[in-house]
Amino acid sequence: MTRKTIKYSFIVVVLIIAGSVFFAFKEFNRTKKDVADIEAAYTLSSNDIISAFSSDEKAANLKFLDKTIAINGLIKSNDKDEQGMYTIVLGDSASMSSVRCRMDSIHNQEAINLKTGMPITVKGICTGFNADEMLGSDVILNRCTIKIN
Amino acid sequence: MKKISIALTFLILCLQAAHAQDKFFTKSGKINFNATAPASPEKIEGINKSVTCVVDTKTGNMQFAVLMKGFEFERALMEEHFNENYVESNVYPKTEFKGAISNNATVNYTKDGVYPVKVKGKLSMHGETREVETDGKITVKAGKINASAVFSVTLTDYKISIPALVADKIAKKANIIVDCSLEPLK
Repeated sequence: MTRKTIKYSFIVVVLIIAGSVFFAFKEFNRTKKDVADIEAAYTLSSNDIISAFSSDEKAANLKFLDKTIAINGLIKSNDKDEQGMYTIVLGDSASMSSVRCRMDSIHNQEAINLKTGMPITVKGICTGFNADEMLGSDVILNRCTIKIN
Repeated sequence: MKKISIALTFLILCLQAAHAQDKFFTKSGKINFNATAPASPEKIEGINKSVTCVVDTKTGNMQFAVLMKGFEFERALMEEHFNENYVESNVYPKTEFKGAISNNATVNYTKDGVYPVKVKGKLSMHGETREVETDGKITVKAGKINASAVFSVTLTDYKISIPALVADKIAKKANIIVDCSLEPLK
């Protein structure tokens, strides 16, 4: 081996190590993507997604869990918690079940002027179905944003 | 006859009203999952703010349910590992607790104050169900109730295994911190 080959292979090895360190560091510090920038995998009404989960929770979990979903429906209530974060509740006011959309902190202010009875489309990540006989069964969306109708 | 029926109607209404105020609930309770090992340089914790919780003040029965996919971590990678490698939330989407406040008689739900309680019941997580017991707190303020408790769970009890590579960062015992502001169930 000549001095030159040793020199070049040394440079290549250093570059590979630097590259992997950079990649590992970037991956380690990766933040979650803004839901507003993710295209919805499914768009459906609040009643349709509730019935999909109530009729076959397993199949609905396979289809919707962890996916970005846009839900349209009427606002049943718009709840604000102690930290000022909004949860938009969509669904039929006569039914106990609803779709509960918890706003993303960076999109929270979009929910300020929303009133009960307004039609709306909300986009968020589906985290599953909370079935409860007494309280009604809810589909939960997390990190939500408002997509204007 | 008329008087009796009026009295009966009144009685039924009273009973219903009393029944309605026994139960308190929330659908936006908080659970903090903390598995930071004492020597770990970074925090391993996630928070879920869509917890369903019901407390029956008459019997002391209480339960809560939380969807594992709804835990948010600071780092996306940590959240993915939590879901995919540890709690396997695709297979086991929900964690539930069903139990009771063992010293419910000592809590006066009609009087403002902070009451220490003992909570005992069954915790189901990652497909495993275990008996758990812990200390908690009931805070009564202006007709509303706040229920909080810390459950310390040994992860291997729930068949959650931690790879040797990260064993110094992830604690063997995780704290599940429950904090729910409850409203009367109408």
